[in-house]
Amino acid sequence: MHLSALSLRHFRNLRNQELELPREGVALIGDNAQGKSNFLEAIYYLETLRSFRGARDAQMLGFGEEVFRVVGTTEGGDDEPRGVQVAAAFQKKGKRKKVSVDGTEPDRLTDALGHLSAVIFSPSDVDLVSGGPSERRRFLDIVLSLNEPGYVRALSDYRKSLSRRNAALRAGQPWSLVSVWDQGLIRAGAEIMVARRDWIGTRASAFGDYYARVSGGRRARMTYRPNVSLEDAASTDAVEHAFREALEAARDREARRGVTVAGPHRDDVRLQLSDEGDDLDLRDYGSGGQRRTAALALRLVEAMTIRERRSRRPMILLDDVFAELDGGRSERILELMDGEDTGQVVLTAPKDADVRIRRDALPRWRIQAGEITT
Amino acid sequence: MSAIDRLSDEFSRLPGIGSKTALRLVHHLMKASKDDTRRLARALVDVADKVRACDVCGNFSEHDLCEICSNPRRDVSVLCVVEEAYEVGAIERTGQFRGLFHVLGGRLSPLDGIGPDELNVATLLRRIDGSRGEIREVIIATNASVEGEATSVFLEQEISPMGPRVTRLARGIPVGSDLEYVDGTTIAQALAGRREM
Ligand SMILES: [Zn+2]
Repeated sequence: MHLSALSLRHFRNLRNQELELPREGVALIGDNAQGKSNFLEAIYYLETLRSFRGARDAQMLGFGEEVFRVVGTTEGGDDEPRGVQVAAAFQKKGKRKKVSVDGTEPDRLTDALGHLSAVIFSPSDVDLVSGGPSERRRFLDIVLSLNEPGYVRALSDYRKSLSRRNAALRAGQPWSLVSVWDQGLIRAGAEIMVARRDWIGTRASAFGDYYARVSGGRRARMTYRPNVSLEDAASTDAVEHAFREALEAARDREARRGVTVAGPHRDDVRLQLSDEGDDLDLRDYGSGGQRRTAALALRLVEAMTIRERRSRRPMILLDDVFAELDGGRSERILELMDGEDTGQVVLTAPKDADVRIRRDALPRWRIQAGEITT
Repeated sequence: MSAIDRLSDEFSRLPGIGSKTALRLVHHLMKASKDDTRRLARALVDVADKVRACDVCGNFSEHDLCEICSNPRRDVSVLCVVEEAYEVGAIERTGQFRGLFHVLGGRLSPLDGIGPDELNVATLLRRIDGSRGEIREVIIATNASVEGEATSVFLEQEISPMGPRVTRLARGIPVGSDLEYVDGTTIAQALAGRREM
């Protein structure tokens, strides 16, 4: 499956363009601030219905415009026989988002997620490693929402229960009125913890392998750091039980502080360098290159998840990712991507010399002031 | 403001009706016979003037007691608790329930400042207490939403110590749907609520 056509209307500086994308992909070349990242942002918007850069919908409107619209058409391949058309539009007035799949609006926006099976690599990925736990939780939530049935629903239920429980705590309501939210919180929270633990557990060794292959030697580790201690809790029931006990233990503290302190909204993922005896936390002790390598390895594991869970070749979006990596690392990543079972590749680069993926086989497009020439 | 503008303005305040639909409704009424339009107006006035909450259960009623509460053939040992009065109709239409109702008038919603005091909870508890054991079962039919579930937990906490059996509407696979397309949570709930055959 690949993205065969893309139609853009007033998305950032990209104005109105109808583009046909080659099956193997394309390299978009242009100077900085011409709209290269906007192009990838528009494509990835069709995958997650939000900006990979964390921008709000209104910020992606072209200057002075009322509505933006992105329409992508995929064409089937041996991994996915049927193509699909995903259209996403946003209207400034009323902040209305409208999404359709093959012309039909899905019941829930989340039903329209994941139709491109795309992964995006960007220089800001380093924040996954250097940033706070919320960055890593966001990463997990996006990967699991796109790949694990039921995760989106659990996450949404969890957030609803949490915000209401916190409101009850903040208002100083009696415990009998705070604890009515526990059942929903615990049920959804346990689902989230189990999904996160399973994903990290089954892919930790792949993360280590990818790290070693990009770094050219050293290995790294990825481990789940749940806020609720899950040591002996194997089944979902046991996880629910552990969560319930954690809430009970935190009761006084929560009443005092007026906020829920136990639960997966405080989870983290630990990323460590694992050779030379003791494990060093990459967040605190990693060099710039090591952190970027770990971030790349996370994205490669994300691509692997798409292959495994959706049985599709992931579409790879590369946003100027080689700018900040040394030559050796860049070469090894290119080799790795050529070797992996990946689908279409869309990459951006500031100059021709950077485009070596697929042995220079990618057609080159240029972009200037938002205008793409093919 | 012209009469037409006033009416379309009123229509557009109704849920699910935008300004275009409101205008279309007005145009439809302009073409309809004046008798039809006056009948609609009278129906609206009647709803405003005559319909109120039943003194006992909170259901829509044109008298002190609603038709259900005043019907001697209803089973007074079973009480069904719903969030909103319009949900009484949904259960009544099934023809499967012969007991009485109690309308909460909403659900617990701390983000909107709605607690038990803002709902018809005290009247419910007084009603159960005052029945001196005659109410043997309370069916909690709040919605399967996060807030509806929390409301059911709260009611169970309050009602159980008073004696009646407290039950919850079963949730599960919607009738006529393929298992393949039902989400995991719904299947899990249907599994947990399975019954003997
Ligand atoms: Zn009544």
